[in-house]
Amino acid sequence: MRVLRIHPEKCTGCLRCELACSYMQTGEYQPAKSVIRVSPFEGHTSYAPYTCTQCAEGWCMTACPVGAITISAVGAKEVQDDRCVGCKLCAIACPFGTMFYDPATRKAFKCNLCGGAPACAEACPTAAITYEDVETADWLGDFARERTARVLAEAR
Amino acid sequence: MTPATATAPKQSKSKTATTARPGAFAGNLLRVDLTRGKCWAEPWGPERMRAELGGVGLGAMILYRETAAKGGKKNVAWDHPDNRLVLGTGPLAGLPVWGTGGLTVCTIGPGTNGPTSTQANGFFGTNLKYCGYDAIVIQGQSKGWVYLYINDDVVELRDAKSLVGLDTWETQNALYRETGLVGHQLSVYSIGPAGENLVKFAAIQGDFGHVASKNGCGAVMGKKRLKAVAIVKGTKALRAADPRGLMQAAEDMSHDLQTDASARSLYEYGTLPGVVNLSKMGALPIKNYTTNLTSNVAGADMSAWEAPKLRENFDHRGHQCNACGMHHCHMSVIRHGDKKGQIVDEPEYEGWSGCGWAIGAADRDGVAWLNTECDRACVDVNEWGWLCGWVMECQEKGYITRDQLGFELKWGDIKGAHRLLQMVCRREGFGDVLAEGVKRAAEKLGGPAKDCAIYIEKGATPRGHDHRARWEEMLDTCTSSTATMETGNPVHPTEVGQPARINPFDGEQVARYVAGLRGRRGFEDSLGICIFTSRTRLENICRALSAATGWTFSVDEALRFGRRTAAINRATALRCGHTGALEYPSARYGSTPVDGPAKGQTIRAQWEKMLDTWYAEVGFDRKTGKPWPKTLRDLGLDWLAKDLWGKKS
Repeated sequence: MRVLRIHPEKCTGCLRCELACSYMQTGEYQPAKSVIRVSPFEGHTSYAPYTCTQCAEGWCMTACPVGAITISAVGAKEVQDDRCVGCKLCAIACPFGTMFYDPATRKAFKCNLCGGAPACAEACPTAAITYEDVETADWLGDFARERTARVLAEAR
Repeated sequence: MTPATATAPKQSKSKTATTARPGAFAGNLLRVDLTRGKCWAEPWGPERMRAELGGVGLGAMILYRETAAKGGKKNVAWDHPDNRLVLGTGPLAGLPVWGTGGLTVCTIGPGTNGPTSTQANGFFGTNLKYCGYDAIVIQGQSKGWVYLYINDDVVELRDAKSLVGLDTWETQNALYRETGLVGHQLSVYSIGPAGENLVKFAAIQGDFGHVASKNGCGAVMGKKRLKAVAIVKGTKALRAADPRGLMQAAEDMSHDLQTDASARSLYEYGTLPGVVNLSKMGALPIKNYTTNLTSNVAGADMSAWEAPKLRENFDHRGHQCNACGMHHCHMSVIRHGDKKGQIVDEPEYEGWSGCGWAIGAADRDGVAWLNTECDRACVDVNEWGWLCGWVMECQEKGYITRDQLGFELKWGDIKGAHRLLQMVCRREGFGDVLAEGVKRAAEKLGGPAKDCAIYIEKGATPRGHDHRARWEEMLDTCTSSTATMETGNPVHPTEVGQPARINPFDGEQVARYVAGLRGRRGFEDSLGICIFTSRTRLENICRALSAATGWTFSVDEALRFGRRTAAINRATALRCGHTGALEYPSARYGSTPVDGPAKGQTIRAQWEKMLDTWYAEVGFDRKTGKPWPKTLRDLGLDWLAKDLWGKKS
């Protein structure tokens, strides 16, 4: 399956992904409506984008009381606007903080992989965000395990 | 936190201003009156947007209209409450074009007591426009120290007592803590001790390493007792008239940057290659213009100054401005020596020059550290280099004694230079004289010391090159109305009908070239885009602007726009008393190199002829300095022709 993969060590914090994402999602440049967000780490020396990993468990789907979150053809968990009642349970359930709520529309919104051509990956000038085939849906788990092992090894 | 004074800006009442405006503009100017403690939004309409764009286009007009002294013949001085501090962005700021976080500062600065236009990047323009404003126009003077907080429609002047005395990085970190925001969620542009103490070459620094440095704009902020401007990344939207066209133009620009021979090294290493490249031309300033041989600097090994080695000497990480894919701005960590582990902003070429070569220092770790100390104190690193190098030379020659200065300062002494920096930015002892800037300090000392000082008679100092090997920059700097280069370096000169290259030591050719290239810089500095990411064909930038706004903006219109802006700034400069008599380099600045690649080339011998040619080419009157009425009418500035020439126009 194809997933959005984040390579935080390559991110320079330029936020072009946020602009591209908000344009695809809303037709306007409005980073506040972007569903990918870049966060700073280690003072102001490093940055990392994060967005929905389309995780296998899909807690947002489990939590949604009205079945408004479905899986799209490209494997993205997608909010169906006509069903969403804006209760925000999905936003509470998401352990990654990548489910958002728009007070203007009173609906939840999230990454839908732009229907299979993610604008953030296209816009990133340093390839810190790629859209690629992975063997397992749980690539983030592999990433976390590898990084944890490395950090622990360095600490020893 | 209780705001000292708080006034929410008024919502726009003009429907035309908000409904018909191009969506690339936010639609409002944020007006701030520090005397009255009031902030309000002033809508501006599409016609004015096209005529002034933003940045220096907007700033020049505001300075001309709003800083005249009573009677209109003269201008208010830099420290007058009626002086304006315009912090402008532009129509491309906040859009997905590389390097569009732009800030242009326009004000009457203390260096020349005349207008200035000076740029920084980062995220100022992005955050401001997403809050709904295209520029901030500050007037008045606050009684106590305040900072300006902007979060969409919440605009407050907040008490800044607790920030006084902090350097610019400390100020940004303190405001992060105070607001609970971090990174690009909060863009902070502030002044450090140099600005607070009205050092006449104080800068405005923001977002860890971006500096608007010219003409003491930081001292203007200090005089107004405005410690910082803190802008939350707003929630409002910008629109492009032709989004696909905008992305296409953006991609073409980035393609140019990555592949064109004139920009490729800039894309890879920012301005780092400047050190070695300029040293080969004799344009790297070494030891206050006393030599052009790098071998005269103790410990200099030029192979260590090649761009890749310069960067790899540090642990480093990209730290880019809005939407930028250049491998330019970096944060670095010092690996060696007593500053090991300290985070610094990777110096630009001018940092390596001002904190290094100009003062005879070749210790890369020390220079990088001192450069960040300059940013934190908020001084212009160029004028700093000329000042510190001058003091070093004067001490060596006995023109400034050890007793006068309080200690001994020798070439290349980084720790001593840092001590001097602290004295200057706190105006301690002899530092009080030096804080007035190179020209005024040199004039105060007089005699042979004055002859060693690098400055322009208008009161400013040049950028960080040895212009005795770059005549076009010296002419540009001296004839400019903005206290720094107004025409800028040639970028794809053939696109605007100029030759690809000229004889750099033929005054006549140089003057024609500088005059012929005019316009581009003023246009670019009105867009909210970085000077480096705009190093592409002008046609690409015009296409980006057209796609963003829905206008059809041609290369000719762009050049005309820039020249119009320069004419307006010239009118303000004339009102400030800048006559042609001040368009000269100081004795040392215009001297003849004694060694190196430009040895024996004497610009002073050709200077009068160069001025004559330049004036004739740009259509200005050599005697009065005024643009001719015809020149102004051709630029669509009939009203200015009337102002300057009265009935004779």
